[in-house]
Amino acid sequence: MPKWGMVIDLNKCTGCGECVTACKVELNVPVVGPEESAKGRTILCMDILSTYEGEFPEVKMRHMPRPCFHCEHPPCTKVCPVRATYKNDEGIVAQIYPQCIGCRYCQVACPYTVKHFNWTKPEWPEERCEALNPDVSVRPEGVVEKCTFCVHRLQKAKEQAAVDGRDLREGDYVPACVESCPTKAMYFGDLDNPKHKVSQLKKSHRAFRLMEDLGTEPKVYYLSEVE
Amino acid sequence: MSELRHNTFEDEDLIRPIEQTGPGFYLMVAILLGVIVFAGYTYIRQVFLGLGVTGLAQPVSWGFYIINFVFFIGISHAGTLISAILRLSKAEWRRPITRMAEVITAIVLAIGGLHPILDLGRPDRMLHLFTEGRLQSPLLWDVTSITAYFAASTVYLYLPMIPDIAILRDRGTRPRWLYEFLAWGWRGTEHQKKVLERAINILMVMVIPIAISVHTVISFIFSMTIQPGWHSTIFGPYFVVGAIFSGIAALLIVMIAFRKAFDLGKYLKLIHFQYLSTLLLIMSFLWFYFTFAEYLTGFYGHEPNEMRVFLYKFTGDYAPWFWTMGICNFLIPVVILVNPKTKKIPGILIASISVVIGMWLERLIIVVPSLANPRLPYPTGIYIPSLTEWSLFAGGVAVFILAYMLFAKLFPIISIWEIQEGREESVHAVAERLKSYLPDPPSEQLLTEKLGSKR
Amino acid sequence: MKNDKTIFWLQIASVSWIWIFVMGVAIWILNLIRVAHKLNDALNASVGISIVAIPVFFTLAAILTYVFVGLQKDKHRGDERAKQTGGIDSSWRGAK
Repeated sequence: MPKWGMVIDLNKCTGCGECVTACKVELNVPVVGPEESAKGRTILCMDILSTYEGEFPEVKMRHMPRPCFHCEHPPCTKVCPVRATYKNDEGIVAQIYPQCIGCRYCQVACPYTVKHFNWTKPEWPEERCEALNPDVSVRPEGVVEKCTFCVHRLQKAKEQAAVDGRDLREGDYVPACVESCPTKAMYFGDLDNPKHKVSQLKKSHRAFRLMEDLGTEPKVYYLSEVE
Repeated sequence: MSELRHNTFEDEDLIRPIEQTGPGFYLMVAILLGVIVFAGYTYIRQVFLGLGVTGLAQPVSWGFYIINFVFFIGISHAGTLISAILRLSKAEWRRPITRMAEVITAIVLAIGGLHPILDLGRPDRMLHLFTEGRLQSPLLWDVTSITAYFAASTVYLYLPMIPDIAILRDRGTRPRWLYEFLAWGWRGTEHQKKVLERAINILMVMVIPIAISVHTVISFIFSMTIQPGWHSTIFGPYFVVGAIFSGIAALLIVMIAFRKAFDLGKYLKLIHFQYLSTLLLIMSFLWFYFTFAEYLTGFYGHEPNEMRVFLYKFTGDYAPWFWTMGICNFLIPVVILVNPKTKKIPGILIASISVVIGMWLERLIIVVPSLANPRLPYPTGIYIPSLTEWSLFAGGVAVFILAYMLFAKLFPIISIWEIQEGREESVHAVAERLKSYLPDPPSEQLLTEKLGSKR
Repeated sequence: MKNDKTIFWLQIASVSWIWIFVMGVAIWILNLIRVAHKLNDALNASVGISIVAIPVFFTLAAILTYVFVGLQKDKHRGDERAKQTGGIDSSWRGAK
């Protein structure tokens, strides 16, 4: 079984936010108005964490794209009372929207706070309603959602490979954020397959994962910034 | 026997509130129903509009509903647990208290147990818990253990009520069929007394571990996650102590209220309040000890994530609530209850109200700050509950008061047969028991031996 | 006496109800174990909890039934005596 994972090179990341936009479009993430947004109800399956270091004028801003880390030992799936979130055979932590009762336990249990709740009915600007991605289900209000590693693309890639009568190749399955990155700072592939770029990059001396001490074993690696 | 008929019944005071209803009762019911209807309206509105009508957001996605869930279940520990412990330890002063305590448990448990449903984004999918539930999730542990506690505490409330219901049945109090139905054919024969006593004895031993499991399991909701401020081994006992603490305070408030409303000064004497408030004082010290141990370990370890939550409570946005909690839970009750001059009913009432408020704040301080300080640098706002949450909180309290009033309208709030048993048998029994504690008098044989050696 | 019969059957129904409730809980927990087994999802945790939980519920129902049966035995005891003494037959009775 492949173990899908991501590597993000922070050296290359400019913090442009293209991945965030691509993710919103790809996953049909509802758009909330400014009022709701001010309350903290924006849904960001892909987010960019920005930190500032130093005092003015010596300020350094750092950016860190943050998808779901699809942990090997996810704290969120353990606590779900109804199997609405689970880790599938290929290591992707998935949500089952029609199963979710909206208790938000997974959301509070996630140490990375990557899960978001649909506080209101999903809404889009009128023009967007005509152009929703048909491959991704629209979530009703009252359920939890998060980054899916664009698992629908895996489905498509597998079917395409089956039609062509070949195995899945590197690059057949890539999430929208990785695909959209203008500086090619993100890599995606099978972490267990030595031929894939990600499995080589994860061995780099620059590679690290967030909060490794928690033992969650995230499948998203970062390559630290070097001056 | 026959002259007894003409005597007025000795415990008439306990039955009068059932047979006579004043205008105040109806007024109170109307007000409470108003609050409940409004809460019902806001809940239905929430079901249709989604949880967006609350003040919850990212990252504080658990708020009033979960706080009140923990709070109400905590109050529920007043009853059955305390009454079981007092029965088990043969504390004779328990007699007028146990029933009141048990009623609190049964009602508050039902209210508290339903609170997670208010919190659900999709209450229409509740059935998934039954068809697809995962017993690995602490939420399911809660469902199981609260159900068990609710069942056990209602049975434990009901069984000691049977003889009293039989009294009402024999007096012909209306509705007759209800008392006839609930009395289960009680005639007060020796055999029946033995059966009932045995059942109560088994139950009170059983109910203590169940009660403790309930609040331990509720603390597990938090402590099973790896979030700073929650992931603590002390949480189980800490919650249990807090629960008993707030439970005793609630029990004292209820007792003082009924003493006033039903004029029960004859039964609920100052001594009962003083004994119970001594327990409250002990729990206050115990609560302080646990709180101290919990926060000192966090502070001393100085783990950055833990420290952010710690500082948020001690000096940050939640400092006002945190220090109010300390004053309400420790300073006020201790100052009032250590001084014999203030350890009178008004003082005890103030201390109890302060503890209930303080314990509610404690639940707030456990739930929100850990969520408001995520490990990663997200923008966070301040959680401000909306009108919906306030009205559902008020609704929960109103349901409690209303249910308690209706109970007091149908059944004696103080166990009549236990009072009578106390009057008739306890004085003798306690004297006997006391004798058994004392060193045995020298036996005949020993005496003769001693005398013999002298000779 | 027709009224007495209705009440008796209501009492029987209420005692049966706790058994239905307890059985319901047991079936629910066993169903969850079945699902956990089918999906290979923390079966041991489910079994462990069920071992603790199910007996508790059954003990409760058993106690309640024990009291009911025990009280039924002497249900009509004292009725005759009561007629003689004018309704007073027990020390735990209120006179009016």
